[in-house]
Amino acid sequence: DTWRYAHEEYEGDVQDVYAYKFKEYVEENSEHNVQVYRFGELGESDDIMEQTQAGILQFVNQSPGFTGSLIPEAQIFFIPYLMPTDFDTVVQFFRESDAINEDFVELYADQGLELLKMYPEGEMVVTADEPVTTPSGFNGKKIRVMTNPLLSSTYEAFGATPTPLPWGEVYGALQTNMIQGQENPIFWIESGGLYEVSPNLIFTKHGWFTTAMMANQDFFEDLSADEQEMVRMASEYAFNETIEHIDGLAEESLDKILEASDDVTVTRLSDSQIEAFKKRAPMVEETFIDMTGNSGQALLDQFKADLDAVQ
Amino acid sequence: MSEDDTQHFTSHLPGFLGTIDEWISKLESFILALGVLLMAVNTCVNVIARFGFGKGLFFSGEINRILIIMITFAGIGYAARHGRHIRMSAIYDAIPFTGRKILMICIALFTSAVMFFLCYFAMVYIISVFERGRVLPALQIPIWTIYVWVPIGFFVTGVQYLLTAIKNITASDVYLSTQVLDGYSDSEREV
Amino acid sequence: MLIMIVLLLLGFPMMIPLITAAVAGFIMMFGGLGQMDTFIQQVLGGIRPASLIAVPMFILAADIMTRGHSADRLIDMVMSFIGHVKGGLAVSTAASCTLFGAVSGSTQATVVAIGSPLRPKMLKAGYSDSFTLALIINASDIAFLIPPSIGMIIYGVISETSIAELFIAGVGPGLLILVLFSIYCLIYATVNNLPTEEKSTWKQRAKAVQLAVWPLMFPVIIVGGIYGGIFSPTEAAAVCVLYAVLLEFVIFKSLKLPDMYTIAKSTGLITAVVFILVGVGNGFSWIISFAQIPQTILDAVGVNDMGPTGVLISICVAFFVACMFVDPIVVILVLTPIFAPAIAATGLDPVHVGILITLQVAIGSATPPFGCDIFTAIAIFKKPYWEVIKGTPPFIFILVFSAGLLIAFPQIALFLRDVAFG
Ligand code: NA
Ligand code: NA
Repeated sequence: DTWRYAHEEYEGDVQDVYAYKFKEYVEENSEHNVQVYRFGELGESDDIMEQTQAGILQFVNQSPGFTGSLIPEAQIFFIPYLMPTDFDTVVQFFRESDAINEDFVELYADQGLELLKMYPEGEMVVTADEPVTTPSGFNGKKIRVMTNPLLSSTYEAFGATPTPLPWGEVYGALQTNMIQGQENPIFWIESGGLYEVSPNLIFTKHGWFTTAMMANQDFFEDLSADEQEMVRMASEYAFNETIEHIDGLAEESLDKILEASDDVTVTRLSDSQIEAFKKRAPMVEETFIDMTGNSGQALLDQFKADLDAVQ
Repeated sequence: MSEDDTQHFTSHLPGFLGTIDEWISKLESFILALGVLLMAVNTCVNVIARFGFGKGLFFSGEINRILIIMITFAGIGYAARHGRHIRMSAIYDAIPFTGRKILMICIALFTSAVMFFLCYFAMVYIISVFERGRVLPALQIPIWTIYVWVPIGFFVTGVQYLLTAIKNITASDVYLSTQVLDGYSDSEREV
Repeated sequence: MLIMIVLLLLGFPMMIPLITAAVAGFIMMFGGLGQMDTFIQQVLGGIRPASLIAVPMFILAADIMTRGHSADRLIDMVMSFIGHVKGGLAVSTAASCTLFGAVSGSTQATVVAIGSPLRPKMLKAGYSDSFTLALIINASDIAFLIPPSIGMIIYGVISETSIAELFIAGVGPGLLILVLFSIYCLIYATVNNLPTEEKSTWKQRAKAVQLAVWPLMFPVIIVGGIYGGIFSPTEAAAVCVLYAVLLEFVIFKSLKLPDMYTIAKSTGLITAVVFILVGVGNGFSWIISFAQIPQTILDAVGVNDMGPTGVLISICVAFFVACMFVDPIVVILVLTPIFAPAIAATGLDPVHVGILITLQVAIGSATPPFGCDIFTAIAIFKKPYWEVIKGTPPFIFILVFSAGLLIAFPQIALFLRDVAFG
């Protein structure tokens, strides 16, 4: 059969790497083919998710930021300073966490989705019109966010003014100073040229851009046990290959940026500076609990327990 | 632009049905005008709030999304009523009267069928969105509620084309809609 | 595909061929109608992008200005300066279209706003009706290139290209075409020995400028607001509405409150008619993309091996021909995603491509047999088909020539963009 797989990014981006590694494994180890659709080919993020729920697509990759309107608990990844900052610890967390590998699996199953893998794409980096090291430095700055209440609450807690804007308007709005900053993994800041119009990179270490790959549950359950195992192996294979791909990707992207522009400044917050931002995190946790109730509280507790286990 | 030719709508349906039809027409035009004006106000208020007071409206984009759907699906019925859907009539216009009449009946019947077909699938779609429970991120209202215009719009449009077919069968002239006679002289197109 | 063209030509509403073709595609791909709800999802997805609100807003602003005094005052000002030169009336018409283009986003609005008052004057001065109609139709195309432009907004939305950059890049080609048209008008007037208008005195000119100062602020507000970071290109449209209301209702007092209801309703109607096409167009391109048809066609034709110029020429021909038959918005909607992979593969500047597409679309829609501007003109001026198209060949030749220049010298479009965005 031809299995259809859609993700949210462009050619060569992390989700695309994952998808093609998955395809490679499936096609080598079974009679099936995988057809990958990139961003926009079958609609926006919400569209491909619905198409997977409807069974038109067999696999989809969607970031929890978008899933938030369907599974509010998925917004947990927007709580700042919840995740470890060190790459190896993050990878270990994704491998071993019960929250990720059990609790989330159930949440997705309620929506008719078989969660196959959650994985990090990169550390979030803020860019702004000047180097910022304190929450008061963010005062009055309009920072572009996705239309997501929890993310918005994070930037409010940081002292900034969160401003929702469609992705297509971000570059232009930074250029005209309609907004003063945005956040993204470094490789997007590089590939989207955002550093050209927002040259001050701030490594706040507040979170990782996380994403999730899943299958339509009815489709998955109809597969034979062997094939299910093969799909899980393919997800695992793609995960390992992708982790290898993103290890060092951030440094490479930063080098490219520094080479391309002389205006770029790099600010890495010191531990004491981070502490000032960290103090604001409980406000966001509260918002998260308000939005998700007991189920969110339980997930958050599990998350923290899992983190203690790996750190 | 040219003078408005959609000012008065008199239904050709008999009695009670005709009254309902006229009310629907009034409602459609009200929704169209209101939707467009609200969109302008919402967007301007957002600009002023963001630039003047430093903080835009978080839900402004979602309001416009709701309004676009409302305008589009209130408008397709209204456009059908007044024979204003974009069509290419070069060959059609060159056909003699009887051929035109037959062709118009076919066009109206087929279009009507397509609209009812889409109305059905719009309902199927809304039910699935309802079951999945997705909400608008900023306003936190269920998304299916903003889609209810969709099947209604297709249904009203389907009815209008059906009535157009009936009108063409019963009347002696060729009609683009229940209101509008074919021929450029009496159907000045607004742009 | 064949069914689609037949339905289209027979005079079915334009959404019907698109829907029918999409339904056929769904049946072929899924062996039935079980997944048709995804078509509805994509129809709604098509009208979701936030930038699309610029379409009704620019239509609304233009409608307010046309029904009020703004459009007339702009025309009077242009006339007072160039009405007296040889062919001045014709040149004024072209210049007025360009100027009105700077406040309006659609060609059809420009045909009405400028064509309605100036056509009688040109006929009285001895210009033939076919020349006059051709001039109005084609000069209105300039409005499509001069920002704001609905075509650019839709291209920008679909291809994820900066609308602000597209806007500024349209100015150069727009002015180039104005100059070429003016030269043709001058030659035409000289050959046919047409009389000129009375020369205005400087006092009269000052008066005309003074009267036009308020409407002339439109481009200043749009450009200043966008590049000053006050609002996005999309929001600029709504700000234009606010300004138009201020002018016509408060300053000129040319319109009354009930007029606003009528104008808003008529804008809503046009919006719905356009957006349902945007929606079903999106549903149609979804199934095409799902079936991987664009990749297959482009591979078969070998577009990816053509190099940048080859791709540009293929794009031009495809858009030009398609617009001779179908509404420009539908063409942009359907063809842009098909060419997107080839554009990305050859590394062409998406802004340059966007301007070229906008130009092709404008030309195609003024080109017989079925260009939609022709039908707008037939409907508005109530002239027979042949009369409307008779004078168009020289203009179309000039436009095609401009397209060639634009392919050869991308800087015509990109110069201003590079200055503005360095
Ligand atoms: Na324009
Ligand atoms: Na045109």
